[in-house]
Amino acid sequence: MTLSDEELERYSRQLVLPEWSGAAQERLKEASVIVVGAGALGSPVATYLAAAGVGQIGVVDEDVVELSNLARQPLHFTPDIGLPKAGNAVVKLSALNPEVQVDQYPVRLEAGNAEAIVMGATLVVDCSDSFDTRYLVNDACCAQGVALVEAGVLGFAGLVMSIRPGESACYRCAFPTQPVDAPSCREAGVLGAMAGLVGTIQALEAIKLLTGAGEPLLDTILQIDGATMAFTRVATERISDCPACARVPAASQSS
Amino acid sequence: MTTLDLTGVLCPMNWVRARLELERMRPGERLELVLDPGEALESVPRSARDEGHRVTVDGRHVTIEKA
Repeated sequence: MTLSDEELERYSRQLVLPEWSGAAQERLKEASVIVVGAGALGSPVATYLAAAGVGQIGVVDEDVVELSNLARQPLHFTPDIGLPKAGNAVVKLSALNPEVQVDQYPVRLEAGNAEAIVMGATLVVDCSDSFDTRYLVNDACCAQGVALVEAGVLGFAGLVMSIRPGESACYRCAFPTQPVDAPSCREAGVLGAMAGLVGTIQALEAIKLLTGAGEPLLDTILQIDGATMAFTRVATERISDCPACARVPAASQSS
Repeated sequence: MTTLDLTGVLCPMNWVRARLELERMRPGERLELVLDPGEALESVPRSARDEGHRVTVDGRHVTIEKA
């Protein structure tokens, strides 16, 4: 796979990075990434992945754009109210970078379709807003051996972790049980810039996992306190009898 | 030796093209660039040296030996 003159110019500022290379850019172009959720986290994630030149992006979201989304979901604009988010993401991302193939999955990710959606992907970025979906995405990625970037944001608090199933702790290893009294985003509130920060870190982690540049947050949970700007790395490790990843062979993913 | 005529190619595209060519070469192989005076001649040899390559400059001709 070679890059056209237009692609060289489009990606020139990352192609000159010492940590980057033509091969790294081609790895992005060959990658297929599923972004689960086109909301507060999914907006920056999908935007930066499309801008950076990920070849194929699938956006999973069953919702339509609402007025109350616009303060934190910069992929969606006021005239887009009422449009399906996944379809709107295709329009916006294709306009940003026509080199990228963007596919829409206007469905809710559920137990019945999770593995089918994840199957064949190089990497998944979980930008969902519920614990149920997060465990479903984690388990599907573990079953398929697909690399995953997990994140959550609530108020001024955020966390990010990267997962290579079979090699590093999965979300279920780090959080074996769902918190019983966790407030939903609707109740606790989300600040757009805070979600943007966490989503941007997710995008960077995805790019690192896909290209091999840098050191992803494997076996590490990054906790972010946006109020004080404290960034804390917390070590985590695989659980030998984890129901999601214990039996996943290492290095099953392609990148 | 491969020669890239980068006359009229602005920064950082000149370094992008040189770098992609270097990526395809083996250590010890040499790449000759023809660069415009000014920013190109000032910055491209420096970028190449920063990445550890041996660089010699003769007028507008720059030879890079891949590290």
